[in-house]
Amino acid sequence: MAEFPKLTYEALTVGETFLSDDHLVTPEDIEAYAFAVEDHHPWFFGPSPFGGPVAHPTLMANQALHMRHGKYIVHAGLHAKMEFAFLQPIEPGMRVRSRGRVIDKYVRRGRQYMVTEYVTEDLDGTPLVRGRFTQMLIPEGTRHGGH
Amino acid sequence: MAVTEALAVGQELPVLEKEPSQRRIDVYSGVRPRSIHTDEDWARQKGFRTTLAQGMMSTAYVSEMMTRQLGAGFVKGGTISMAFIKPVYAGDRLTVHGVVKELRPEAGQTRIVVDVWCQNQHGEKTAVGTASGLRA
Repeated sequence: MAEFPKLTYEALTVGETFLSDDHLVTPEDIEAYAFAVEDHHPWFFGPSPFGGPVAHPTLMANQALHMRHGKYIVHAGLHAKMEFAFLQPIEPGMRVRSRGRVIDKYVRRGRQYMVTEYVTEDLDGTPLVRGRFTQMLIPEGTRHGGH
Repeated sequence: MAVTEALAVGQELPVLEKEPSQRRIDVYSGVRPRSIHTDEDWARQKGFRTTLAQGMMSTAYVSEMMTRQLGAGFVKGGTISMAFIKPVYAGDRLTVHGVVKELRPEAGQTRIVVDVWCQNQHGEKTAVGTASGLRA
């Protein structure tokens, strides 16, 4: 049985890797996302320059962001920075997964950060989105307290 | 949706208005206990006045602005780089802004680089960065 240790700055290793579950992108995913971000562009629901419908380019970002939850219990955190490169459209019916690697961790002004590089790809390994995100770790028993 | 308008450095893109309600945040983030996005008590325990929208919702807003402006050249070939500098709380009202920063040749097309930011109802910037896309 897999163990899920608590994510702490000390436990985190630069170079360690994460892998998401596979996910089938459905029209319902796109509909829900459109509601959440108030973006009902017609290409998400009908013909597009790529043929049929495409998903919002940022649709699968949470799959990447949550990769660490497949390995650790995450107490709390804040997203500090995000970079995306949209390489190929994500389309409904695709099965996609995200793979990531911790490329840095650091402490700045007393706050702990981790930096992860990732790619979201289809199951043939075709890269769809590449990105990098920086997350602040809020240690257990502490408050962020800045706002 | 045809995209034909010419762009010039310094040009402002049409401003978007967004209202990340708790309901929208719930759908975006998934409702979970012990989440600063969907559990108000937990958010307060962590030092926030109420629940927060995920920072990435702001990248989705910028994605919409860029897709409306650049179309397919953003969906395939676009980029976003943003820093989340202030929390966005449930119920905040945001405006999403873009100003063309640079036009750069790239593989027979033009990469259009845009300074982007989100601003809350108090006039405070909540996220800042750049986005880009290609135009033939």
